Amino acid sequence: MHVILEKSLKEASKYFQNFFIHEYSEKGALHAVDARIKIFTTLVLIFLSISTFEPQKIIFIILTLTALAKLSKISLKKIITRIWLFSSFSFTITLPLFFQDPLYPFLFTLRVIASLTAIQLLIMSTSFSEICSALRSLHAPKIFVSALWIAYRYILLMFQELISIFMARESRRVAKGSHLDLWRKGGESIGLFFIRSFEKAERVQLAMLARGDEIAYYRGRLRKVDFIYLLLLTFVVVWWVVI
Amino acid sequence: MHIPDSYLDISVAIVFILLSLSVLTLSLHRLKKEKLSSLFGIVAAAIFAAQMLNWPIPGGTSAHFVGGALAGILLGPYAGCLAMTVVLTIQALVFGDGGLIAWGANVWNMAIVGVFSGYYTYKALEKFGKTFASFIAGWLGITLAALFAGFEVGISASFKYGLQITLPVMGIWHGILGIVEGAITAGVVSYISSRRPEILENRAPAGKIAVLGILVMVILSPLFAYTAELVNYSEPLENAAELLGLPDYSVYSGLLPDYTVPGLDPYFGTLITGAIGTLVVLALAYGMVKYARNS
Repeated sequence: MHVILEKSLKEASKYFQNFFIHEYSEKGALHAVDARIKIFTTLVLIFLSISTFEPQKIIFIILTLTALAKLSKISLKKIITRIWLFSSFSFTITLPLFFQDPLYPFLFTLRVIASLTAIQLLIMSTSFSEICSALRSLHAPKIFVSALWIAYRYILLMFQELISIFMARESRRVAKGSHLDLWRKGGESIGLFFIRSFEKAERVQLAMLARGDEIAYYRGRLRKVDFIYLLLLTFVVVWWVVI
Repeated sequence: MHIPDSYLDISVAIVFILLSLSVLTLSLHRLKKEKLSSLFGIVAAAIFAAQMLNWPIPGGTSAHFVGGALAGILLGPYAGCLAMTVVLTIQALVFGDGGLIAWGANVWNMAIVGVFSGYYTYKALEKFGKTFASFIAGWLGITLAALFAGFEVGISASFKYGLQITLPVMGIWHGILGIVEGAITAGVVSYISSRRPEILENRAPAGKIAVLGILVMVILSPLFAYTAELVNYSEPLENAAELLGLPDYSVYSGLLPDYTVPGLDPYFGTLITGAIGTLVVLALAYGMVKYARNS
């Protein structure tokens, strides 16, 4: 079981950095834009990236995203760190098609880079509470948005709980088991973990009922900066069509 | 198995967004009387945490648990599907795992096909023993979800590998990894049934008509996607006429012919006509709602 623990903790430590990415990103122009506008514009930018194979259009979107990152003081190095793995995977799997269409692997990878960068700009400039508020303002069902928010807040705690169960089992282990034994014991540990999760859910539900079972969502009015950003994006769309 | 943006054609992505939204709406409707947000939230967080575990498999490689079938078995198909959707949405919006335009396809594969097929396989085989039923449910849920992902990517013209490559690659690989998923699902279900059996028994029965509707949608979804891909942005009748070599005589070309504005760039024209069309439909809908309320 120590193998599961070692590998999982190593991977999770990298993964959980994402939770703090918004907090340690320096505040820039994009941070000031309303989350509703950012979600909409991110979808538009992804749509523009993936609806073409024309190199000048894809490169134009990548340059736009790079300029937006610079304007918003979002580190390009951090964006590259977060997107390189899937971009290089996309390039590797499309490379055998080079002989049929020499440009295809490059253009496909550029499309992937553009769409991944657009999502990263949203993530790195918007806190999850803002995203939840924006989803609620856009009429996403209340029960779904509440569940999103609760899940987000409890992920770290639940992971800690899961690891503590595995640690306890590992400390009591006296013999090295086979793979099948490992999966069976692991399954039992996760079973215990889910029982505890249900118990925790009941406690949280009762606590929420006691407090009024309402999660408040901020719904501010759009400001000048939002309209300026929308205007900028309209210009990008028109320019993308023209080139 | 998370499909990022740009692997799917927009037409295919839209079909799966619509299909997923319809099943999610039905699930929310079925659960509207229950106060479940904290249960979804906490169990979703637990599934998320369980997905972080890295399971070693013989040969030095490792696999991750997905948990679709388990979510269905523990929460029932509707709540399980919503909990998995919560997990997938957080993965897309916080971790960048899976695309935003491809969100519908990812939800369809892992939160709908994975959960519903896992749950009903478990229910069908439960009489042969909970451990066996949950193993098969876990294995089948992940394998079917992977086959759907392979289908969606393979049918998209943007991704040049066809179905003859994407289906076997996704199917065979996840068929093997599915053994781990099945073993863990069986371990969890067997443990819970021995310690807290009521968790597995307190599920509200799923309505037969609703389930039949979802089953039809799952079976027909490849056909919807295939048709969307075939039609793409043109009319089926136009395609048929072109195939038959019929000439094009227009009786009346309309105010905005071929969804464009005469004299403007075709793409820009399509955007403008799209906006005008949407506004007209919204105005008509608003008028109808107002009329219905007054009468």
